Amino acid sequence: MSISVQNLVKKYGSLTVVHGVSFDVAKGEFLSLLGPSGCGKTTSLRCIAGLEESNGGVIKIEDQIVSAPEQGIMTPPHERQIGMVFQSYAIWPHMTVGQNVGFPLSIRKLPKAQVEKEVDEALEIVGLRPLKDRHPSQLSGGQQQRVALARAIVGKPKVLLFDEPLSNLDAKLRESTRSEIRRLQRELDVAAVYVTHDQEEALSMSDRVIVMNQGHIMQEGTPKDLYRKPANRFVGDFVGRASFIDVTRNGESWATQDGTPLKVAGAKMAEATGGRHQAMLRPEAVELVEGGATPLANGEEINLVPGTIGESHYLGAYTEYLVKAAGASIKVHSLADLAPGSPVTLRFNRLDTRLVAVPE
Amino acid sequence: MTDNTITASTGQLAAAPVQARTAPDRVLQAVYYATFLIITVLVAIPILALVYGSFQTAAPGAGGTFTLANYANLTSSGVVSSMLTTLWIGLLASVLCIIIGTTIALIVHRTDFKYGRLITALVGLSFYFPSFILAMAWIIIGAPGGVINAVLRDLLGITAVQSDIYTAGGIVFVMVLHQVPFVYLTMRGPILGMDGIYEEAARTAGAKPMAVLMRVTLPLLGYSLLSSFILTFIITIEQFAIPALIGIPGHVTMLATQLYLLVRFTPADYGLAAAIGIMLSVITGIAIWAQRRVTKTGRLTTVTGKAGRATPIPLGKWKWAAYFVTFGFVILGLLLPMVILIYTSLLKWFTANPMNGMYTMRNYQFIWESSSTLTSFWNTLIVSGVGALFGVLLGLFASYFTLRLKPTGYRLLDFVVTLPFGVPGVVMGLGLLWAYANLTIVPLYGTLTVIILAFVTRFLPYATETIGGQMVQIDKSLEEAAWVGGATRLKAVRKILLPIVTPSVQGAYFLLFMAFFREISSAILLYTAATSVVSISIWSFFEQANWGLASSLSVVATLIIFIAMSLILWLMPAARKA
Repeated sequence: MSISVQNLVKKYGSLTVVHGVSFDVAKGEFLSLLGPSGCGKTTSLRCIAGLEESNGGVIKIEDQIVSAPEQGIMTPPHERQIGMVFQSYAIWPHMTVGQNVGFPLSIRKLPKAQVEKEVDEALEIVGLRPLKDRHPSQLSGGQQQRVALARAIVGKPKVLLFDEPLSNLDAKLRESTRSEIRRLQRELDVAAVYVTHDQEEALSMSDRVIVMNQGHIMQEGTPKDLYRKPANRFVGDFVGRASFIDVTRNGESWATQDGTPLKVAGAKMAEATGGRHQAMLRPEAVELVEGGATPLANGEEINLVPGTIGESHYLGAYTEYLVKAAGASIKVHSLADLAPGSPVTLRFNRLDTRLVAVPE
Repeated sequence: MTDNTITASTGQLAAAPVQARTAPDRVLQAVYYATFLIITVLVAIPILALVYGSFQTAAPGAGGTFTLANYANLTSSGVVSSMLTTLWIGLLASVLCIIIGTTIALIVHRTDFKYGRLITALVGLSFYFPSFILAMAWIIIGAPGGVINAVLRDLLGITAVQSDIYTAGGIVFVMVLHQVPFVYLTMRGPILGMDGIYEEAARTAGAKPMAVLMRVTLPLLGYSLLSSFILTFIITIEQFAIPALIGIPGHVTMLATQLYLLVRFTPADYGLAAAIGIMLSVITGIAIWAQRRVTKTGRLTTVTGKAGRATPIPLGKWKWAAYFVTFGFVILGLLLPMVILIYTSLLKWFTANPMNGMYTMRNYQFIWESSSTLTSFWNTLIVSGVGALFGVLLGLFASYFTLRLKPTGYRLLDFVVTLPFGVPGVVMGLGLLWAYANLTIVPLYGTLTVIILAFVTRFLPYATETIGGQMVQIDKSLEEAAWVGGATRLKAVRKILLPIVTPSVQGAYFLLFMAFFREISSAILLYTAATSVVSISIWSFFEQANWGLASSLSVVATLIIFIAMSLILWLMPAARKA
């Protein structure tokens, strides 16, 4: 394993911000830490970098223990051989682009010619070779981003760490930089830990995503797993858009508050967690049928729920309707134009009706 | 005015309400003109008088004629040598101050040093420790007949090594002790405000703590260091009390002391003194211009303002070096001088050996019993109390007009207000001496008023910097919202702006009070027996070798200054950062 985090604990005084978090990152793997602000994702990343001293647990980089406060081990950041990209880039304003990128090499006293050569290569990779002698103040935000990237990879680090590196870029640039970061990381074939609060970023870039909340891991899995089979309501709500219907167990089956039976998936996993339960629906998985219900053939794995159109938001490619049904407000994406108050029927597959636990 | 008739018909309807709104603004207009006039007169009179005096053959009021000889005499060997002495003492002292002050600031704010709060408080105190009192204490310690030699001779039996503070080295030493707190206070802000992320990036890039300091932290602070260096240099070459007390007995002459000697001792040469004053002002003026340039161009993205979580650098085995530098400075710059002064003030006759001392409270009793000392206290209270009020009002108006209202000519006002920065205190005193000894129509010469004028003019920039510093931070929209809500400009000022800037106005008042209380350089050429202030009394007692009385007065004056300082900190928590 390139990175191994076991039982990481971080406290600020009496406040514990990371509660015994454990995960591994394999060589060449791209792992995202996803969660709302204050969930402990950045703190965990800074503990791996050594910028933050952890209070418990073991962190290994390439099977070497770099942090184990119980054993009195705390390797300083400059001995960890990492590359890190910061949220505000941290491009040193008193150095040129070339000096910034060359810093990790020159600080390790590499021969000048070699530094020059490797800086040129790194700048070539991020497409900034012509700007080598510029000063940071002459660069755009996107270019500063690339300088930060080049500086992170130039020292051939064992691991790459990213602390919300795209949050200061505009939407278009963000998308192109995403794929560039991913391409670079694949070429270098190193482990990467990427911290973000943007679920789209996490889903599109990662091999694996860890969703965190209040210092705990809520779920760990591939992007598809997280989206399709969220372990609890928090993950379902935070990753992607979702609506929730309160449901209770009614013998062998499940029913909404007004008694309408619902065919659901994932009951075993949700019931194991305990607490209340809800059925989760993704807006794109629900079909909007005008008027009353059409009868179903027996044994069909389909749910039919009557409702009325509430608010609507026209978004160009589709309209998002909030449909009042089964005691909840359900988001549906549809191409149809419907007036508020129109009676409709919602039609959705059992496999798209995911049962999630709501911890109490 | 000429197109009145044309617009009259259309203007009539609108005219009435507009008239009503502009009427109270006339008050502001009048205040503006008054402020402009008073400040211009205050600043222009000493400067113009000095320029006039530098072209005169005889003393003020003695009916001299026009001459260029004073400027020709600037090239005489005496002036050139004191000019060179001034420059090298200034440069050496400033370099040492920057090194020590920045080191202390870095130790306190960037490492895991344990006693940061204590050191900050003590360095802050020593910043307000008057230079002439510090110099006196060190003369008692380091003069040929002082404590060090007594200890060497009587306690250790050493006669081969003798301490003599009356040297250029002695001047540099005491100046460094006096100026280090200034460097600390100017470097503290940039160090605290620097985004920790630049250092973190260097650490993750593989730099060891020392390399981070040398290659990232210090270069990023470069412009702040340069700016602080220039300011320190200005204050050092302007210094009067330290080079006078230490340098005159030791025949080490700097420009400020030469000017003083030319006026106070025969053969007096007021004209040459004025020319030296002009030269000194030109040097400081150039330095101030350079400093402004540096701060303007240096406003890189180095300090983002949002200070990140900067991780303290572990001192490890350097812990003892850190203790040595920080506590060493505090002891030499504040604690030891205070102890020596208190000790000296309690002695009947000075002796370096506390066992032989005859202790007495006589020196303190004398403060109450001597009418001349009481008069000087009374004078100081009037000068500081009333003068500071006058100064703060001028500063408040000047800041409001130059930063907020910006009426015609506000740039000129802004320029005039900052001019006193470039005029050393003793030069300001000489200018006023030339002015009021000549202008016999205005009977101000030898009055307390002329001392108040000197102090107010000299420290006007302090008031505008303190009040203006807070005023620029107040968003203009706060006032605009009041205008939209129906308030006139004057009402908006009274109801919105004034309440918000009140803390800085109060802070500026005590800052001026304190500055006036310890000011000596601009009063030294202006005082008479009836208008002596505390600082002058202390000076005179010391010159008469009455160390006991000088010490007891110094102890009392220092206490009053420290009380005023705690009032500032209490009123303006922001002053701690400034």
